[in-house]
Amino acid sequence: MIPPALPRRVAAFLLQSAISIAPRDTLDWGLAMLAELRHVQGNWAALLWSLGSATVLAKHALLSLIFPSRNRPTIPSGGDLFSKDGPMRRPALAITAACLIASLLFFVAPVFRQAFRVSLLPWQIVFQPDYRRLSPELQSIVKKAEQDHDAEALAFVAFRHPQSSESVRLADEAVRLDPNLIWVYAIVAVRASSLPDRWVSTLERFDPQNALAHLIAAKKIDIDLVLRDNVPHRAEDEPPAWQSAMAAAFKSAKLDTYSSQRKALDRRVLLRYHLGDPALIADNAWFYGLPSLSDADRYAELILASAQVLEARGDTKAASEKYLAIAHFGQLLSPDVSAWWFYEPTEQAYTRLAALAAKSSRPEEAAFYAFLADPKRRTEAQESSFRHRGFRSNQVARWDADLARRSGAVMLLSGALLLATLFAVFLRSRLLRLSSLRPGRLAIALGVSSSAGFFVSSVILRLSYQPYAEVLQHFIRYGDNTGLTNLRDFLGHAYAPIGSGWLTPEQDYLSYFWFAVIVLCALALLVAVLRYFQSRPRANATI
Amino acid sequence: MKTPRLSPQTLRVLEQFAERPTAWRYGYELSSETGLKSGTLYPILMRLAKYSLLETKWVMTEDGVPPRHTYRLTANGMELARAKQTTSRSGVRVRRTAFSGSKA
Repeated sequence: MIPPALPRRVAAFLLQSAISIAPRDTLDWGLAMLAELRHVQGNWAALLWSLGSATVLAKHALLSLIFPSRNRPTIPSGGDLFSKDGPMRRPALAITAACLIASLLFFVAPVFRQAFRVSLLPWQIVFQPDYRRLSPELQSIVKKAEQDHDAEALAFVAFRHPQSSESVRLADEAVRLDPNLIWVYAIVAVRASSLPDRWVSTLERFDPQNALAHLIAAKKIDIDLVLRDNVPHRAEDEPPAWQSAMAAAFKSAKLDTYSSQRKALDRRVLLRYHLGDPALIADNAWFYGLPSLSDADRYAELILASAQVLEARGDTKAASEKYLAIAHFGQLLSPDVSAWWFYEPTEQAYTRLAALAAKSSRPEEAAFYAFLADPKRRTEAQESSFRHRGFRSNQVARWDADLARRSGAVMLLSGALLLATLFAVFLRSRLLRLSSLRPGRLAIALGVSSSAGFFVSSVILRLSYQPYAEVLQHFIRYGDNTGLTNLRDFLGHAYAPIGSGWLTPEQDYLSYFWFAVIVLCALALLVAVLRYFQSRPRANATI
Repeated sequence: MKTPRLSPQTLRVLEQFAERPTAWRYGYELSSETGLKSGTLYPILMRLAKYSLLETKWVMTEDGVPPRHTYRLTANGMELARAKQTTSRSGVRVRRTAFSGSKA
């Protein structure tokens, strides 16, 4: 039960609080409202009176912060006496219109539209519940490619389709149309969670010297075991088919992930279909071309164990062959700096080979193997891999992505605020003629700040995306893929929802701090511009 | 005098003042008579006072009670109110003629 006098007490408190923040020139009016409060009949009516009055005082307090000298004596002409627009109206409207037009002009450039789409990526994750759905852009490519029997475009989509079954179907269709594209199976198989049995044998026949087909075969066996809930805990418990597939991989003459063919195909399709979405290009499959990182490691452990048994039995020749098999596979992986993880078994194999050579009185051979087993080489390879793949978080790309996604958020916020302000002004005027609109000072302040925010964030977005737009264009036009790792890092960070702390949580606070600094600077600049226009001498200031 | 653009709420306030031109009026009294809430009425009063169309003064009503703020139109304000009343009446007459279907 609310005591009857409580609303009136709350009303008095509220109004007194509002008076305490009111600017000096409205103090009398605040006291007048408070004095009238005693005479308002009804406690709830008194509360409503107080709410309305407090709103008036709060509005004046807010305006006095933005327009400190708004109450200097001026004698306006009769025409704009009650228009509530004051001297600020024209420059403010000019600033609003200029910012808005300049921002909209940005959208004319395709690069900016691309940047804007990238800045909205965090919201895509939040608002797109069905991640297995193909994007409309890729859907239209599939439709057109099927009509035109374009095998390369079908392969392009197969590489990116979120559903394994559809990827397999598109890859099959692409190979049916162009049998030279059998390597497409390998790319799809590396990322697909299920694949047909015939693919492995087809790949083995297509490129018999390549270890990739055997690694894919081992991966397929792994997937089948996982599906049957029969995952072996030790490598020696793996089925014979897995062991023979890995043995074949370790004996292969080469390891080709077909990345160069894939990049060339992607580029041709991008040009043919006039695609410019960076997310279609710099995905992880470009950089992780192997089906499983753990299979080779586990098989190497298995060989090492058996080689040590042979060594203990005195069969040094057989043991050396096994160690050399590991070293050979390490050599196959070595052109790919991402294979640093295989250095540990390689290092152990070289160490044992050095020991066996020393035992057999082959000092030069022993010294050579000892050099190859040097842990410094592993560290260097690891560093090189981190640099290449951006594991040591590419700070510049992260900053740019932060700027881009925050700029996108500010653009959305500013746009919504501007639309709401315009809607309120039109609604209040009840007229659609621009000359008839009479925005109040608050509406002007909101309009100017939101349009300026929209413009500034558009500029920041354009600048932060510029290097990546160039990387993309260089790749599409000239096939230059040197900056694509940076583009991939940029997109990786751009996907993270603002404030989620994904990827680099320890750095988020710092970026928030600088973002706040930028926003405050922009606001300070805006207030300075407004004050300049307000303090400028005017022809009708005095009569 | 050039006629300023007035909102319907401001016109209502001016009409109230014009009914008793010499009387000093309280804010709550004006609010009750015009049906305007305090959040609408006071900005109108403040603008009228700012442009010297309204004069204000504090008056003591009874002992121990804080003084009240009272308002009255100035000569300029009265002139504006009358001008607006005339315009408003002629506008109404024209509209009635137009919609009544009778000859002007």
